[in-house]
Amino acid sequence: MKSEQYGSAGPGPVRDLSYELLGIQIENPFILAAGPSTDDIDMVRRAFSMGWAGAVLKTTSVEGTRVDLAYPMMSSFNHDGKLLFGMGNIDLISAHHIDRVESTVRTLKTEFPGKLVAASIMAGKKEDWQSLVVRLENAGADLIECSFSCPQGNIGEDPGKMLAQSVAATEITARWVKEAARRIPVSIKITPQVTDIVDVAQAVQRSGADALTASNSVQALMGIDIYSFVPNPPLGGKSTYSGLTGPAIKPMTLRTIAEIARHVTIPVLGTGGASSWRDAVEFMSVGARCVQFCTLVMHHGFRVIDDLRSGLSNYMDDMGFSSPLDIVGKALPHLAVHDDLPRRRVRSMIDESRCIGCEVCYVACRDGGHAAIDRRESRIPVVNTERCVGCGLCPHVCPEACIALVGVD
Amino acid sequence: MQREETTPPNKTAPDVFNNRRAQVEAERCLYCFDAPCTSACPVHIDIPAFIAMIRSGNAPGAAWLVRNANALAGTCGRICPSEVYCQPACTRAKQDAPVLIRELHLYATRSERAREFHTVTSPRTGKRVAVLGAGPAGLGCAVELSKLGHHVDLYNDGPPGGVPLKSIPPFRLPEEDLIHDTGILGRFFTAHDGTIDAPMFGGITGNHDAVFVAVGLGRDRPLGIPGEELESVFPVLEFLETAKKRPHTLSIGSRVIVVGGGNVSLDAAATARRLGAAEVTLLYRRGEQQMLVWSAELGEARRLGVEFRFHAKPFEIVGRGRVEGVRCRTMHLSAENDDSGRPVPVEVPGSDFLLPADSVVVAIGQDVRAEWLTGLGRTKKGFISVDGNFQSSMSGVFAGGDAVSGEGTVVRSLAQGKQAAHAIHEYIMRKG
Repeated sequence: MKSEQYGSAGPGPVRDLSYELLGIQIENPFILAAGPSTDDIDMVRRAFSMGWAGAVLKTTSVEGTRVDLAYPMMSSFNHDGKLLFGMGNIDLISAHHIDRVESTVRTLKTEFPGKLVAASIMAGKKEDWQSLVVRLENAGADLIECSFSCPQGNIGEDPGKMLAQSVAATEITARWVKEAARRIPVSIKITPQVTDIVDVAQAVQRSGADALTASNSVQALMGIDIYSFVPNPPLGGKSTYSGLTGPAIKPMTLRTIAEIARHVTIPVLGTGGASSWRDAVEFMSVGARCVQFCTLVMHHGFRVIDDLRSGLSNYMDDMGFSSPLDIVGKALPHLAVHDDLPRRRVRSMIDESRCIGCEVCYVACRDGGHAAIDRRESRIPVVNTERCVGCGLCPHVCPEACIALVGVD
Repeated sequence: MQREETTPPNKTAPDVFNNRRAQVEAERCLYCFDAPCTSACPVHIDIPAFIAMIRSGNAPGAAWLVRNANALAGTCGRICPSEVYCQPACTRAKQDAPVLIRELHLYATRSERAREFHTVTSPRTGKRVAVLGAGPAGLGCAVELSKLGHHVDLYNDGPPGGVPLKSIPPFRLPEEDLIHDTGILGRFFTAHDGTIDAPMFGGITGNHDAVFVAVGLGRDRPLGIPGEELESVFPVLEFLETAKKRPHTLSIGSRVIVVGGGNVSLDAAATARRLGAAEVTLLYRRGEQQMLVWSAELGEARRLGVEFRFHAKPFEIVGRGRVEGVRCRTMHLSAENDDSGRPVPVEVPGSDFLLPADSVVVAIGQDVRAEWLTGLGRTKKGFISVDGNFQSSMSGVFAGGDAVSGEGTVVRSLAQGKQAAHAIHEYIMRKG
């Protein structure tokens, strides 16, 4: 191609981002999550050669498992003109059974010994879970991830419910898997949609599993065509709930990871809504040891790895960090329960030199705050210091980011 | 015609976006695959990738991508014409309007200031290449050769920078941007400052594995009419160089006529207005449609109050000591086209008229100045003749830039330098 005349420039100079994860040396924290991008060996080969540190192959199952896909499976939650702010899918596990995935693992480990090759599995019965683990371990997989949380479809006896929504079932199943894995670590991929994520995380820890992958897509209804009343994605007049991923779920994932990291000691592999190196840093700062990506790659391709590596590298230079592990958990000491938050008086202050006079803060405060911003002839609003309680709404509506919260002595 | 008495603005170079503006503009990029903008860029900057880096808050990464592809990144961020190359190719233009790529490029390169530019270079080959001329083509070639592992001796008369340094007016290119660029490039070559002549050229070809000639043009083409020797007749390069270095020594009077129909003539006209000339008239023998100019610069000249006299050609400059006027003749365009594909202008008999003037700037084109280049084959127009690999008539001697292709953009010369570097690399590696 013409644009590749001088070769793709790649990310430019990137510092060493390698470290050890669950006893495995990885090149950087960026791993492909189980999904469409890891269902085909050529896709994974391309991703590896472009700089991805590892991949979790799309969830596989024992031979004979019926994978009854329905199309179309993708839908988009567009917000303010942004495509795929959230992505919905009604995809199922891979149509490739364990026999094919075994061989994929073997080939990838031969071709890319330095990359993390993980396999994701899903089963119903104990012997199926265990045979999948044994076969993948023998094939040379570095890590097994167990999908206890695929929100679409069900394989097992309890349709409509995810395994990880039952604390007891999670613990028992995780134990089966851990028992079968002799040499390689096992991570349990959980769902954020439970009453108490801590109960589930502690059950995983009790089972002896090595790590948690947090978290899977969020079951959601992607939208309704208001003229036909058929929800998205439409399949012949019918639809169903999707698994929501992408930027829309990032804050939920952050909370899930943080909550797990605060209560269990086994490592968390972060995934769910990260779409830049900054998001990855945030995930790691609340306890993730690596970050998995799927929706970002499905949107823009494997090439996004260049900015992930370059951005993280430049950030670490700025911060004086020597390893990505230096970031892990940095935000956790700053998290507290509401009762323990400092009660400090603050109020808004508008930087008049930068204000552009849109008066959006005025109307937001009048109708959604404490009517503590007054209008003026100049269109430059002024904060009424008597009425402002410092709720912090106005800085977030200001298109020029010229409102700050300042302490009141 | 009524002239507006306006003070010309200080500069026409684009403003550097602030962070907010850059974010908003970067959001507009569709992040195309195999992007048309990148193909259209002569040096093939990976434009969607650097814009995505701006979007993610990785400005240093964006700056690296731009500078790695474009050795004069800061300079091109200011003066790359927005009406050719990347911007017209932008897919977003099919939806609403193109992404302001040049402004984002400028933003990225400016925000790198605090950081060093590191690049990945190949292992040293032990080969030596001489590059003659430190303008965009020479610099582009030298940097690329160095990245490919070769030692580069760069010969130039004076500091590096070529046309951008000598004659691009400061209101289009703030000098600090160019100096920042050339400052970064110093580590890629050994610079030799001095006049280049025939014996020296012979010596250089003897002790290098290859030579790249990028000496540019530099000789103003004369009008060849009576009166051209008068004191206030300025060849355009001399005019622009003096206006840049010692503007107070230029005595142009209040009425200036600029002869020519290219971008350089527009630079000269704009410069004359800025130097204080009340009336600046651009005289061109063909019509506006035939001008070889960027419409943005033409618009800018009009805003500055430059007047245009199309279809008119000077045949005598009159005056005693200094210029007092220019005798002109009206031209009409024949149905016949010349080599450039434009209609041939033909004199209209009996249409002579006199334009009063205090000075004249002659901007009708330039030729190769280097007299010592006698051994190299030339084109019909006098430029150095090369094949598709920038190889000249002399084995191992390559050439590029304006000396080969005539006046062009900075980025075109830079791209030729880069392409030539790859051809030279192949040549010397094959030679063993």
